[in-house]
Amino acid sequence: MMKKSVLKGRASDKTINVCCACAAIGLFLILWYWGTAATKLGMMIPGPLEVLGAIGRGLFGKVGRHSIMAHVGYSMMRVMIGFAVGSIAGVALGLLMGWYGIAEAVFNPLFRIIRPIPPIAWIPISIIWFGLGEDAKIFLIFLAAFSNTTLNSMAGAKSVDPEVINAAKMLGANERQIFTTIVLPASVPSIFAGLQVAISSSWATVLAAEMVRSSEGLGWMIVAGMNNNDMIQILSGIVMIGIVGFILAIIMRKAEEVLCRWNKSGE
Amino acid sequence: MSEKAKVKVRNLTKKFGDLLVLDDMSFDVEDGDLLCVVGPTGCGKTTFLNSLTKIYDITAGEILLNDEKVDSRKQNIAYIFQGDSTMPWLTVEENVRFGLDIKKVPEARKKEQVEKYLEIVGLTNYRKYYPKQLSASMLQRVSIARAFATEPELLLMDEPYGQLDIELRFKLEDELVKLWKLTKTTVLFITHNIEEAVYLGNKIMILTNKPTTVKKTIVNDLPRPRDIAAPEFVELRNQVTELIKWW
Amino acid sequence: MSMEQERGIENSIIECTGVCKSFETPEGEHQVIKDFNLQAKENEFLVLFGPGQCGKTTMINLIAGFEKVSGGSLKFMGKEIAKPDPSRGVVFQSTALFPWMTTMGNVEYGLKMAGVKKQERQKRAQNYINLVGLQGFEKSYPVQLSGGMRQRVGIARAYCNEPKVMLMDEPFGALDAQTRYLMQEELQRIWEAEKRTVIFVTNNIEEALYLADRILVLTNCPSTVKKEYIIDLPRPRNLVSPEFLALRKEITSIMDSTL
Repeated sequence: MMKKSVLKGRASDKTINVCCACAAIGLFLILWYWGTAATKLGMMIPGPLEVLGAIGRGLFGKVGRHSIMAHVGYSMMRVMIGFAVGSIAGVALGLLMGWYGIAEAVFNPLFRIIRPIPPIAWIPISIIWFGLGEDAKIFLIFLAAFSNTTLNSMAGAKSVDPEVINAAKMLGANERQIFTTIVLPASVPSIFAGLQVAISSSWATVLAAEMVRSSEGLGWMIVAGMNNNDMIQILSGIVMIGIVGFILAIIMRKAEEVLCRWNKSGE
Repeated sequence: MSEKAKVKVRNLTKKFGDLLVLDDMSFDVEDGDLLCVVGPTGCGKTTFLNSLTKIYDITAGEILLNDEKVDSRKQNIAYIFQGDSTMPWLTVEENVRFGLDIKKVPEARKKEQVEKYLEIVGLTNYRKYYPKQLSASMLQRVSIARAFATEPELLLMDEPYGQLDIELRFKLEDELVKLWKLTKTTVLFITHNIEEAVYLGNKIMILTNKPTTVKKTIVNDLPRPRDIAAPEFVELRNQVTELIKWW
Repeated sequence: MSMEQERGIENSIIECTGVCKSFETPEGEHQVIKDFNLQAKENEFLVLFGPGQCGKTTMINLIAGFEKVSGGSLKFMGKEIAKPDPSRGVVFQSTALFPWMTTMGNVEYGLKMAGVKKQERQKRAQNYINLVGLQGFEKSYPVQLSGGMRQRVGIARAYCNEPKVMLMDEPFGALDAQTRYLMQEELQRIWEAEKRTVIFVTNNIEEALYLADRILVLTNCPSTVKKEYIIDLPRPRNLVSPEFLALRKEITSIMDSTL
C-alpha cells in the first residue's frame, strides 16, 4: 500500500523531506544565533556566525599548521585505515562466529566483556602498546569498527534462512561451499548494517584517537582549542566532524543501495 | 441500477499517475446481499478494496452507502482481512469487544453483543484465551465475531479463508452463511476461489483484468445448503470459470 | 498391460518401513510420525494428503535427508538415506531460492557445486528454464518475479540435477486459488515431458486428485498412512467431472478432523 504524501500537492515526498530538513537546521541556527546574541549564553559560547566565519577562513587558510581541509584529510586517513582493517577483521570473525558454533563459544564471552569499554578508556593501553605515533590512534579507530562489524556479521550469519541452507545441501554443496556461496552473500545486508554503524562510530572516535599526542586533524583542533580556551576553534572542530560524518553516512547508504539491490522488494 | 440499493458505486475510476487500474466501475449492492467478487489474478482487487474503504483517494466517480458518501469514520463499516488481524495483547473476549469499544456502544449492550457472537462462533469456552494460544481457524472466527458484533451497515471481507485447508474453509463458510442469514448484514466478499464464490454468494460479480471493470454480475439462487457436487453447482462454477479463466 | 508395467520398471525408488520420528520439546517427547510405510515406484506421482501441519513436511524432510529417523528404515534405491543429495530434489513451499542470484544462477547452482564447466552447465540450466516456461527471465532476481514464477525457478533448480525423485512440500500452498490451478497444470505438463518419481505433499484435495497416480491419506499427529487410493482417471483431469467429485467427497469424508 502506498503511503499518503505528507502534503497534498505537486511536490514529491523527497523534496518535502529535504525542505523539512533544511527548515529544521535553519531553525536550529536561528535559535543558536538568538541564544548567543540575546542572552548570557553568548558569554560562554560563540554564535553561529563566528563559528561559520572561522570555518570559512580556516577551510583553506591556517589553523595551527594546516588548513581545515588538510585537517579533515589527516583525520580521514586515520579513520579510513582503522575502519578498513577493523571492518575486514570484524566481518571475518563475525561470520565465523555466526556459522561455526565453536568459534562463537570461544570468542563470544571475550567479546561481550570488551565491547562496552569506550574508546577513551583504551587510550592508555594504546599508548603503552603502540607508543605515541599513528598506530596508537589507528588502533582506537580499529576497535570502534571491529566491535560493530563483528556483531552484525555474526547476526547475519546466524539468521540465514535454514531452508535456504537445506536447499544448498540438497543441491550438493559441501560445508565450505555453503559458507562461501550461501552464508556470505546472505549476510551482506547485515554486514552493511554493521558497516554503516562502524563508519559513523569510527569517525566519531577520531576525537579520542587524536587525543594521543597529535598536531593535526579535527580532533587535534578540538584538543588544541581546549588547551587555549578557544571556543570558536572547538566548535569549528565539532561542526566539521558533524558535517563530514554526515557525508560519510550518505556515501555508505548509497553503496548499500547499489550492492543490495536484490534485497529490495518490488521494482 | 436500482435507486434503493444500499451501496451504490458509480463510475469508480482510479489512476496511479498515468496507470489506469480501475476503469469506470459501476454496480449496486442491495441491502442484505452476500456479494462475492471474483476476478483473475492481478485484477486490481487490492486497489478496488482500498478505494472502497477510502484508503486510496479515487480519481473519479463516487461510492455511496445509504445514499451518503462512504466514510468509515461516520458510518458503521467492518472489515475482515486475509490472515490474522486479532490483537495479540487482548483476550478473545476483549478482541470481540474492541469493535464495540471504538463505536462507543453502551456497556450493557456491549456485554450482550459479545456474549451473543461468542456463542454463535463457538468460542464461549475460549473467551479468556490469547490469540497466541489459538489455531488459525479460531483466529478467523474471533475476527468474524468482532466484525459482526458491531452490526455493521456493510461488511467487507478480503479472502479471509485463503490460507486455510479445505475442511476448515467449509466450516467457516457455513458459519458465515449462518451469521449472514441471522443478522441480514450486507456483505462484500472478495475471493480468488471460484468454488467459494459460488458456495457463498447470492450474487457473483466478475471483474476483468487491469484496467479493471465489471465484466458481469450473476445472480446465484441455488438453494442452501449448497452441494459442490450437484450438477447445477458445477454448471454455475464452470460458467464463472469460463468468464475468468486467464490461464 | 498392467498399470505398473505401463509406468516403467516396478522399482521401489523410495522404501519406508515402520518409520517413526519424534522431536524433543519442553513438554517431553512429541511423536510426529508413527509406523509409516510407503513405497514410491519409478516415475510414479505419489501424493501424501492429510490434515493440518503435522507429519507431512517431516516425512519430506526425512526422505530428503534433512532429518534422521527415530526408528524404522528409510531407503533410497536400496540404501539407507543418510544426508541430502541432488538425486533427491526438493521443492519447498517457501521456494527457498537464493535471493542474490538470478534465475540462471539459481537453476545452475547444483551443477556448479558438482564442478560442471560454465558453458555446459548454462546450456543444461537453460534447457530446464525453458521447460518450466521462464525463457526471457534468466537474468531476473527472485524479487522481480511473481509467486508462481518463483516456484517455477524452484522446480527448474531441482530438476536440473536430473534427480531420481522429486520431493515437493506443498509447493503451491502460498499461491492464490487461480495461480494454483495454473501451476498444477504446468507441473502436470512438466512431469509428462520429463517423467520422474514425485512425492508431493498437500492438504488441498483438488490438487491431490488432479495430480496423483496414487494418494496416501494420512492421519493426524502422530501421522501414519490411513488409506491408499489409486487414481485411475485419464489426464488431464476434469475438476468437476462426476467421478472426480465423487472421489473428492469420499476422501474428504475419511480425513481426520483438525477442529
